[in-house]
Amino acid sequence: MNFVFKISRLSALLMFAAAVSMPSGEVLAKEIVLGASVQLTGPVANTGRYYRDAYQLAIDRVNAAGGVKIGNESYKLALKLYDNQSDVNLSVRQYTQLVSQDKVDFLLGPFASNFALADSAVSEKYRIPMVQGGGASDQIFSRGFKYIFGTLAPASNYFGSTIEMLSGLDPAPKSVALLYADDAFDVSVAEGTRPKLKKAGLTLVLDERYSTNATDFSSLLAQIKSKNIDAVLVAGHETEILNFVRQAKSLAVAPKMYSFTVGVPSEDFRKALGKDADYAFGMTAWLPSTDLKDRWFGDAAQFAAVYKAKFGYDPDYHAASGVADVEALVQAAEMAGSTDPAKVRDALSKVKFDSLYGPIAFDENGQIDLPQTVIQVQGDRLVAIYGGNGKIAGPKYPMPAWDVR
Amino acid sequence: MDLLAQVLINGMLLGGLYAVMALGLALVWGVLNIVNLAHGAFIMLGGYVSWYLYTYAGIDPFLGLPLTAVVMFAVGYGVQRGLLNLIVRAPMFNTLLVTFGIDVVITYLAQLAFSADFRTINPSSAGNSIAFGAVVLPVSRLFAFGIAIVLTVGMWLFLLRTRLGRAIRATAQNLVAARLYGVDPRHLYAMTFGIGVALAGAAGGLYGTVSQINPYIGAALTAKCFAISIIGGLDNPLGVIVGGLFLGVLESLTALYIGSTFSDVASFGVLVLVLIVRPNGLLGKAA
Repeated sequence: MNFVFKISRLSALLMFAAAVSMPSGEVLAKEIVLGASVQLTGPVANTGRYYRDAYQLAIDRVNAAGGVKIGNESYKLALKLYDNQSDVNLSVRQYTQLVSQDKVDFLLGPFASNFALADSAVSEKYRIPMVQGGGASDQIFSRGFKYIFGTLAPASNYFGSTIEMLSGLDPAPKSVALLYADDAFDVSVAEGTRPKLKKAGLTLVLDERYSTNATDFSSLLAQIKSKNIDAVLVAGHETEILNFVRQAKSLAVAPKMYSFTVGVPSEDFRKALGKDADYAFGMTAWLPSTDLKDRWFGDAAQFAAVYKAKFGYDPDYHAASGVADVEALVQAAEMAGSTDPAKVRDALSKVKFDSLYGPIAFDENGQIDLPQTVIQVQGDRLVAIYGGNGKIAGPKYPMPAWDVR
Repeated sequence: MDLLAQVLINGMLLGGLYAVMALGLALVWGVLNIVNLAHGAFIMLGGYVSWYLYTYAGIDPFLGLPLTAVVMFAVGYGVQRGLLNLIVRAPMFNTLLVTFGIDVVITYLAQLAFSADFRTINPSSAGNSIAFGAVVLPVSRLFAFGIAIVLTVGMWLFLLRTRLGRAIRATAQNLVAARLYGVDPRHLYAMTFGIGVALAGAAGGLYGTVSQINPYIGAALTAKCFAISIIGGLDNPLGVIVGGLFLGVLESLTALYIGSTFSDVASFGVLVLVLIVRPNGLLGKAA
């Protein structure tokens, strides 16, 4: 399966890159091999593809621009990519294989917090820096690990800008429901959200954890309706949120607003819901703006255009974050003037540059700090509503009842 | 009070959907003694057939269900005739392995063919609801519930009254005697499996109108159908309805009073209890 998949999906270039990265004595050009295990199949494959495509595109760009300059020499980047089939245990084995047998130089991350949480144990053990753009849970960075760096905005702050926005709405919402899935990322989101709600003077009326991959939300929706809750914040996965919205419609549950941690920025999510996606709030730490200048891609808007042209779908923040991971490693290696893992790790902790994803710098735990921009689906457009510097555009609020849309 | 009424109704409607999904699994299990681990994958395929019919041919998902069922019947007939008939009398472990393999193959072929994107069958009518005071009845789930009842009763009458249905039951009870009466078991097995897969396909179409379809939904659905079949018992299609409703209501009430994370604990806990106390299912004959 794995083999068929690679042939069909990965470019011939990748095959070539993988072939020359084999430990076969002398190679033509000096190479830095980046290793990653990503979800190419399995339940989260449609998010995993962002990372596969972003890593490859970034590496191609860096190579086209002359590669990585270390001292007086120029190194080419290569990618060694495995499909972890959306299985955490398999991904840990693959990262172990990447460092112990494939002897890759540095690691790029998988998608999702529970994967990054497990896989970062491998990078820590073998002292190979991993820059990952797929895990936002604060748990990943709270263990004193030295070799893990993350480019997703912290999970605990996902709803930060949304809650700021809530208090400026008219009529102001009073009661809030917080629903979250029982995994590393979503639990971190909930833990970060509760104190923020309290500070904003909002009452948390319903605070419920549900099982990952839950398909039935009718009991929770019935409670939201009977308690007449104004604002509903959901931290979960795209499949759950799709079910949530569809069931909200069929049970005629329309709070004044609802917001979701994932899904809204992704094209296929909005496509799956069609008109029913309207009014949904979400958040993204990245929008393809021309203000975000980049050394290799020019700016974020150009990146988005190149990405769409090459892969046929729009990038979202997952893709931009994945590109930022590659760029951070390149910058750090150039800064360190070496490919030594320990030196590059030290350089990563000091690295500071502007990228298409935003300003990249890591705190002492290895986590980035980026504000989330509140976004909303308005008709067939995705509109930025509220960002780090306050209001951007007017929200469609309150959400009308389903039968009068 | 309104809340409890709403949650009970939600649970019953969910149970109706569960029952349609489990019907095919229970039939194949009861007659062929094959626990079809690919059942969820067939539900998924049925969902895609319905999705394509709706998206590209504009066929309403409810009206398209018979068409989906016919397509899936052909798939099921072929799989049984070409593959499962070879091992139908082998020990159960072998049939488990083969159907597990079919599940894996279908799932990954589905990703290659359909991508891992989420699909929903979302005609404008899909989200409609009827309000009775404070209680809301979602139309698509009501439809699914109605179809579940019709299919189950139809299935029951079919097994009881028709020549083919009797032949199926006869083969399940005593293969040698059935053959002496002129039943061709190869054809009959394939018919039975085809009907089971057709039911799975119809369930997939219904599932797509209330939830979402992607290549990986199958495994969880198989597990749920398995639980329903055991709780309801395999003797009688009516047991599947009872099992589905019971599970739907139980999960909804658990989510309301104990917590959403405990829904699965409750349903699989009941599964274990049923296995201990009434191993032939709630409606099954006492062992």
